[in-house]
Amino acid sequence: MSKKWFTFLLVALMAMLLVACGGGTTETTAEPTADAGEVAEPTEEMAAEPTEEMAEEPTEEAAAPSGDMIELQLMGWSSSDAENARLQEMVDTYNANNPGVNVTLSQVPDYDTVLQTAMAGGEPPDVFYIDSFRLPDYVAADSLMPIGDQMDDPDDFFPSLRQAFTINDTFWCPPKDFSTLALQYNKDMFDAAGLEYPTPDWTWDDLRAAAETLTDEEAGVYGLVLPADMARWIAFLYQAGGTVANDDFSAMTLDSPEALEATDFYVNLVLDGFAAQPSDLDSGWPGEAFGKGTAAMALEGNWIVPFLQDQFPDLNWGVTEMPAGPGGDATMAFTVCYGVAADAPNPEESIALANWLTGAEGMAQWTDLGLAMPTRASLSDAWLEQFPDLEPFLAGADYARPWQFRPGFNDVMNAFNSGLQQAFTGTYTTDQVLSDTQEAGTEVLGNQ
Amino acid sequence: MAAASGIKGEDRERAIAGWLFMSPTMLIFGVFIIVPIFFAIYFSLTDWNGISPPGEAQFIGLENYRTVLAGGGVRQADFFKALKNTTYFALGVVPAQTIISLLLAVIVNQAWLRFKGFFRTTYYFPSITSSIAISLMFLFFYQRSGLINQVLSAVSFGNWEPLAWMADPRGLIHIILEAVGVTIRTAPEFVRSEVLGLTIWDWISGPSVALMAIMFMNTWTTIGTMMVIFLAALQSVPGYVYEAAQLDGASAMRQFRSITLPLLRPTLFFVITLGLIGTYQVFDQVYVMSSGGPAKTTLTVAYLVYQNGFANSNMGMAAAIAILLFIIIFTLTMIQRRITGSEGDL
Repeated sequence: MSKKWFTFLLVALMAMLLVACGGGTTETTAEPTADAGEVAEPTEEMAAEPTEEMAEEPTEEAAAPSGDMIELQLMGWSSSDAENARLQEMVDTYNANNPGVNVTLSQVPDYDTVLQTAMAGGEPPDVFYIDSFRLPDYVAADSLMPIGDQMDDPDDFFPSLRQAFTINDTFWCPPKDFSTLALQYNKDMFDAAGLEYPTPDWTWDDLRAAAETLTDEEAGVYGLVLPADMARWIAFLYQAGGTVANDDFSAMTLDSPEALEATDFYVNLVLDGFAAQPSDLDSGWPGEAFGKGTAAMALEGNWIVPFLQDQFPDLNWGVTEMPAGPGGDATMAFTVCYGVAADAPNPEESIALANWLTGAEGMAQWTDLGLAMPTRASLSDAWLEQFPDLEPFLAGADYARPWQFRPGFNDVMNAFNSGLQQAFTGTYTTDQVLSDTQEAGTEVLGNQ
Repeated sequence: MAAASGIKGEDRERAIAGWLFMSPTMLIFGVFIIVPIFFAIYFSLTDWNGISPPGEAQFIGLENYRTVLAGGGVRQADFFKALKNTTYFALGVVPAQTIISLLLAVIVNQAWLRFKGFFRTTYYFPSITSSIAISLMFLFFYQRSGLINQVLSAVSFGNWEPLAWMADPRGLIHIILEAVGVTIRTAPEFVRSEVLGLTIWDWISGPSVALMAIMFMNTWTTIGTMMVIFLAALQSVPGYVYEAAQLDGASAMRQFRSITLPLLRPTLFFVITLGLIGTYQVFDQVYVMSSGGPAKTTLTVAYLVYQNGFANSNMGMAAAIAILLFIIIFTLTMIQRRITGSEGDL
């Protein structure tokens, strides 16, 4: 008796497994785009919803929903609690004002891996974050729909941010917010050294001189904290008047005298002992060293603000624009956009959602937190009124360069960072750093 | 006749039942292990970017393998750099973990030892603790003013120069050479010639300070598991063998060499194999602690696979490197099997 039961159970189990596997494959391969959104939903919901039957019917059903809810999935990475909660509030607002559309928000850790597998699996979320640095990879894979120009008043976005999401003259996706690099300084340490606070018209010489004065190696205090990171050094490259590659990315241009000048300036700050890496100051990143007071200046973006307020509320600090180099002013803009997949099942609704999120209403609600800045010029005055102290970050938008290159540029960044780390320990010359990077970049550009 | 066929029928029934019992596992094994392996082999022959649906990938033959093994560019250099790092990692960790865990197992197996349970639990504990949690904790220990530097400073009466362990790309052998006055500038010319994308000077760097930090932690977390395996083997050695040896006047050392070690041979093979596989696949600790830095000196082969697949959008290359890693591990295991000579036992 019991034996029979066992056999029955096993057979049933196998049948279930087979059905589950078989079902999965047919859905992903044979199914037209119409119902892909629903497929991504958890199975319990699928069973409960009547929409499942729609798969049997012709596709017009999905295109012209008569009273049926359109399900949209908005995916982003999980960040601070405040940001996660605010985005959920925004989604709730949107759902309340848009009957017929139901947006579900998923905020995932290890975002790149999740998004990439969802796309490769043919079931991408409807609207999702894309970092400007990763954009070229997604565009090269033909997985995005160009929606930038379908936003309301696309010219209202800051040109530097449009540029960050523009590849081959196509404005791919609307920027959700942005941060720029600026110079943070410890007021108490400047006072103690009898130095004037930095101003927006500081030059490299001023930065170096101040760093020298503020350094007290005996006490383990440095004028400046500098990471071995291309994402910081590159601001100096642009300030020196150099570039990473020529305009159409047909050749790398890191063999220029400007690139060498920028790299020498950056590396020498460390080698001469006026600046230290975060790891030498017992810190995981520059913001931490600055907060601890072991570095008098740091060059970070808006993200340092909530960190310092939260972890080092007593720190007396200020912020000003980046110093100018021989080639003029430059800073970096780090930004993320809302992308829509090339074969999105509900393109109209997805674009409408992206439009609302980056429009006057959604963006104001988002940037209200003071963490990142609105990407629309028309909203910047209202934001400045709210956060006057953060003006230097916003001022950078006028001369910021995008953090976006070509597919596979991660290799170039790794090559550079690796070289810079060795230059900081004195085992590599700045020439070697640049020639290694130039070589890696030439290879990456050549593969396209 | 009837009876015989009856037994046969029963056998068959049993066989069917056996297969049925196995089928869930086999199915899962097939779907999640076997099929992906074939997919990986296939993708290693394509230029799949890992983003667009895999069906769109172009078949490019052995191009990925050529780029990695003989391409002459940054990909080749990265692969051999990773292979070099991983090999130094294995050369340090495998002997250390094997010897220490064997020692610990012999100690906690002693009849006279008190609080055995306590010691066994303590030694085993790191192995069952989350590797991510341990890695994060060690990140603090390895800071310039962290615990490790403080301890080293205390035992050397302040003569220890504190290191920022995880940010130090200098190789061990380079450090030693520098101490005797040999640097890249004073070394003979031939060390600057390139072999497989790296200069000879790079090849002989030894593990970097950062990599050694991870090696130390990795050894600490793995000895527990190895100790338990040795302990199980030690306990299956009958006590009368030792008693007989004692009667013959064998010293403790002699007993260890002539009884314990030979009887532990299959286990030794098993532990070294596990160690080799584990070290050549090291990923999580690198992912958490260093992301391959500083200066790519903690870049391991497994991390390179991840980087190519998910940061460089080059899943085809990632698959090719994964297959190469498999071939390397397989070859090493075969060689090691020949050396330990335990064909019959496993």
